[in-house]
Amino acid sequence: MTPPLYIALRFLMHRKRALLLSLSGVVCGVGFFICMQAQTQGFAKYFIDSTLGSNGALVVRSRFEPRQLDSIVPTKTSNTNVAHRQYFEGITNANEIMRVSRKFSNVVSCSPVLRGTLSARSGFENATVELYGIDPALHLQTTDLAHQIAGGSLYDFRNKPDSVIVGSRLAQTLNLEVGDTVQLLAPGGQYRRFTVAAMAKSGVGTIDSTRVYGHLRVAQTLLHKPYPASLIIYKLRDPDRAPALAQHFENLFQHDAASWQEREANTLHLFLTLRLSAAITVSLVILLAGFGIFNVLTMTVLSKMKEIAILRSMGYRRRDISAIFLWQGGMIAAVGSLIGCIAGALLSWGVSKIPIHLRGLLSTDYFVVAWDWRHYVWAILLAMISVFIASYVPARRAAQLPPVATLRGSSV
Amino acid sequence: MKLGAFLSCQDIERYLGEDESRVHALRGVSLEVEPGSVHAVVGPSGCGKSTLLYILGLLDHPDGGSVMLEAEAVSHLPDDELARRRNEFIGFIFQFHFLMEDFTAQENVMIPMRRLGRLPETAMRDRAAGLLEAVGLSDKLQRASRHLSGGEQQRVAIARALANDPRVVLADEPTGNLDTKNSHRAFELLKNIVQQNQMALLLVTHNPAIAEACDWIHEMMDGRIIASHARRSG
Repeated sequence: MTPPLYIALRFLMHRKRALLLSLSGVVCGVGFFICMQAQTQGFAKYFIDSTLGSNGALVVRSRFEPRQLDSIVPTKTSNTNVAHRQYFEGITNANEIMRVSRKFSNVVSCSPVLRGTLSARSGFENATVELYGIDPALHLQTTDLAHQIAGGSLYDFRNKPDSVIVGSRLAQTLNLEVGDTVQLLAPGGQYRRFTVAAMAKSGVGTIDSTRVYGHLRVAQTLLHKPYPASLIIYKLRDPDRAPALAQHFENLFQHDAASWQEREANTLHLFLTLRLSAAITVSLVILLAGFGIFNVLTMTVLSKMKEIAILRSMGYRRRDISAIFLWQGGMIAAVGSLIGCIAGALLSWGVSKIPIHLRGLLSTDYFVVAWDWRHYVWAILLAMISVFIASYVPARRAAQLPPVATLRGSSV
Repeated sequence: MKLGAFLSCQDIERYLGEDESRVHALRGVSLEVEPGSVHAVVGPSGCGKSTLLYILGLLDHPDGGSVMLEAEAVSHLPDDELARRRNEFIGFIFQFHFLMEDFTAQENVMIPMRRLGRLPETAMRDRAAGLLEAVGLSDKLQRASRHLSGGEQQRVAIARALANDPRVVLADEPTGNLDTKNSHRAFELLKNIVQQNQMALLLVTHNPAIAEACDWIHEMMDGRIIASHARRSG
């Protein structure tokens, strides 16, 4: 143990009240930071996982053709020809696109979906629904539908072409139970009956309140679509690389492709804003803790002027004196961060047990928290920086104290 | 300058304060301290005794002249180097004891040793215990310094000044805060240890009895040493 560290420890231990005050500031700052980040990222991650599990990491949609338009009035700053796209609804060569795209290492699986908006009726209840015509085998490989089943049987759905899976909130709206019959209104005007084989709960409000899964061929008949798929959804090994792959697929297949980041940009921005806002708010707690430590150390320097002078007379260098006070800050930051991390983890765990009946953008019965080591690293880093700045000024002041002035002043 | 002086200064000039309050505290002071010798600096308050002591102890810089430690000019050395020499060669004792309040008697004595870093922990403890035993505090090693009496605190300060076996001990009115009995006891103790170990002692004092017991008496007046006497024999 270096002499400054030894002396710093003794100084700290003999000012227990100040030590506890400083420690509690850091513990609260670090703990709150971790808990807030765990919550905000928890909800964001829950949303991302749910949307990836339902809609895939990447979606290929309508075909497009580049269209060259002649500008009526050419301008000096633009080219005379402006490139546009002309979109054609649906995917006619879905099998070929899927065959090629499966060769990409990032693609785990893909599934064609025929999508259409219909009216559903059950008893006296009506609702507008979004029918997802799927190939059950491929869709279960590509999405988390199997894990989203909240009642009923996937087996029944697979084996009965005239059965559907209904979103959990939609089922509530239509007063549907597993085994009930729901009527879907075809564009031609006639109702067709389907048996509810299962209910799905993705956790995303917009999906659970509108979606109905049916068999692809049945959907094609019901929707009267001339193409076999409106979109192909993809499960990727690395969803973070979805934007690059989407761009590549657009160029390769000449079909509109959207990554989940692009698709959910608005919601993701909302979560990011919430996270930043929470981080800034809680960082203020850490800064306040730093301010508290600044005060405590400044008071310590003032009360230890005689000790500083005597240490200097005994041969302690300026940097030793400075180190004594930096060590004090460092130890408060280290112990405070450690306890703060434990407190943050316990708080996060406690928060995750709080019941909450959320039925909006997300559907959840408990607070959702994310367990991410980076929250802890950030919290510790913030605490360290804050405490270092708070300790540096008093430490520097202590090192600059002229010992003779103190000694002379005391000898009068 | 005589050969063999541990510590000496030549033509020291020192100004204190600024502008109108600027005072010429030391005016061409020269002094030599040899091994085994005990020096007293006497004079009225404000004559520059303590200022001279701090300059000799490398705690303060002279505005003119030079300080020599073992025949080497040291006043111009960087602060870290001066700190190292203070730690290794010089022991300080102050009037108001200046013990570290949060430490025991033994830990106070170990503080200079920790900075020097030559001894392991157990050896430092043993040496501190030995020094405290030499000043009659063997039964108060673990006593917090704030719980020691004034005389005991000063004896701890003496033990601490000797911790790194310095060449010279500088004492600023070491007995000024003690009663006559304790004052005499502390001085005799210090003097004996210094002479037995061939160290040198330079002390600032207002106590004529203590000054008379020193080998040399340097009388100061208005920033000058106006007279230096060797102790009268007999």
